[in-house]
Amino acid sequence: MITTNELEERNATVGHSDTLLELKDVKKHFPIKTGFLQKNVGQVKAVDGISFSIKKGETLGIVGESGCGKSTAGRTLIRLYEPTDGKIIFKGKDISHLSEAELRKDVRKDIQMIFQDPFASLNPRKTLRSIIREPLDTHNLYKGKERDEKVEELLEKVGLDASFINRYPHEFSGGQRQRIGIARALALHPEMIIADEAVSALDVSIQAQIINLMEDLQEEFGLTYMFISHDLSVVRHISDRVGVMYLGKMMELAAKKEIYSNPLHPYTQALLSAVPVPRKKGVAKRERIILKGELPSPANPPAGCVFHTRCPAAFDLCRQVVPDFQEVKDNHFVACHLYK
Amino acid sequence: MTALLELKNLKTYFKRKKIEIPAVDGVDLVINKGETVALVGESGSGKSITSLSIMRLIPSPPGRIVDGQINFNGQDLAKLTEDELCKIRGNDISMIFQEPMTSLNPVLTVGEQITEVLTYHQGMSKTMAKKKAIEMLELVGFSRAKEIVDDYPHRLSGGMRQRVMIAMAMSCNPKLLIADEPTTALDVTIQAQILDLMKDLSKKFETSILIITHDLGVVSEIADRVVVMYAGQVVEEALVEDLFENPLHPYTEGLMGSVPSIEEDLDRLKSIEGNVPAPENLPAGCRFAPRCPHKFDRCTAEMPQLLKINETRAARCFLYDSKEVPQ
Repeated sequence: MITTNELEERNATVGHSDTLLELKDVKKHFPIKTGFLQKNVGQVKAVDGISFSIKKGETLGIVGESGCGKSTAGRTLIRLYEPTDGKIIFKGKDISHLSEAELRKDVRKDIQMIFQDPFASLNPRKTLRSIIREPLDTHNLYKGKERDEKVEELLEKVGLDASFINRYPHEFSGGQRQRIGIARALALHPEMIIADEAVSALDVSIQAQIINLMEDLQEEFGLTYMFISHDLSVVRHISDRVGVMYLGKMMELAAKKEIYSNPLHPYTQALLSAVPVPRKKGVAKRERIILKGELPSPANPPAGCVFHTRCPAAFDLCRQVVPDFQEVKDNHFVACHLYK
Repeated sequence: MTALLELKNLKTYFKRKKIEIPAVDGVDLVINKGETVALVGESGSGKSITSLSIMRLIPSPPGRIVDGQINFNGQDLAKLTEDELCKIRGNDISMIFQEPMTSLNPVLTVGEQITEVLTYHQGMSKTMAKKKAIEMLELVGFSRAKEIVDDYPHRLSGGMRQRVMIAMAMSCNPKLLIADEPTTALDVTIQAQILDLMKDLSKKFETSILIITHDLGVVSEIADRVVVMYAGQVVEEALVEDLFENPLHPYTEGLMGSVPSIEEDLDRLKSIEGNVPAPENLPAGCRFAPRCPHKFDRCTAEMPQLLKINETRAARCFLYDSKEVPQ
């Protein structure tokens, strides 16, 4: 038994009493296999040592371009991928080595996921009833008729008519399907939802509906979100804090206002300047930083800072030494040699 | 300014289960020489079908241009034979698509694909064409053009493939370039490179561009004029600055309210209620009426015409009809 005092003390030493999830130097490397014998010839360092924490009730946005490892990070932290190295601490407990059964009992229920393509992630041969009931069946929540009532309640929560319960996914539009995906994620009363490009495939008017819905649900259920997206405007709108990834590394992490108004890392600066913005008359165009070259392969990342090959500010040290991910201002973390 | 392309009452219908579906339903559109026009709308608005109709690339059956004129440089493309069209496609009008990999041939080198256009349309010899292909690749920003020309498309990244597509599309110095969501599949930093390139090239060669996109940021970056489509019809037309300054049609207004800003924090997004109507089941009256926050009785009873507001602006909405008493 831990007394309240001890608990408080422990929290004080950790520093964040309200931390829900913490990643410590998490790595996920995929082997590259080739030939008949599937010989291991190297590895893709999809996620290469990232550390951050998510507080209860907040929305952490993760942005980056394709191949930066943002989706892999999301999948690794709920153990859909086995982490190669590092620690994942959820509610004070290290879950990086739990068995499947333990995971199902303790973790899966609390962290749910919404995916980009709502059609690919819904079984076309099942009705809404069985799609949304499935998590309840698996985890043996509620009994008999109560389960169906629960499904109807969830449908209404996400703005769908309860009478749709016997219909199939193909009868719905993209936005409605994404609502179904959200209803399924909510079924188990999770504490946290990982949304992986959840609104990227939707038209803008529908995208706004889903974003508003996610914000309403967060308020109602006190949800914690990890919102993975390539769309910097959407991430700005929905997040409290934002992390920027590049080639498997976290480059910068800060509160939303701070990172968008005062980006420190040259990559963040270039990324933000590249987003085209609807202009009104008389408003000056922003300075654009056009990045040269292409994204290096994560199978063979550059030595030193992974961004140095495209960085306009790179100097000798950048080519040799990997910069630490450090706090340079209050809660503003950056991995760059420019800030010491 | 002289019009290079003029669509008059273009109607492209698709036949499905014996019902004619109006994918494009009476579109008027003008593109002047050297001008970049953006065609904006959500999925199902008919923007891509409009562009395919201009190129006469509508699969038939089930699709058919039912009515209207496509006046290009003094010719009505809607009346041309397939042979005559072949002389125009890729020569006077060329097109680039969203997914460059599906539009490049994976078993031919980049060079072979660019030279094909040149030998076919310009009657160049193979060596001449290859020289020109390398020149074009340099123009679109490849520093190693001489090596790239012998590479296969799978060796290139998405942004590089799109640049190859642009090199190919521009190689015959077309009068009109149609770009259907050219940067949608690309990352933002690469998108910025491609948009810059398109702007440079259109200035250099005085090429008119019709860009089809759903991204209002891209519109403001590249276009001179905007045409907004909804459910197969043009609902608003304006100069770029005017549109962002003051959108007239409630749909345009809703579209802009739906996009979160990267520069300021909004409390809540103004979404548009409901969904785009299915083209086989369009509402009577104004097609946007069921989702419109300003609708009144006349909107559900009668179809509004595209009303000319001034020289450069038009909106398909009764709110701007002088007969209507201001509310």
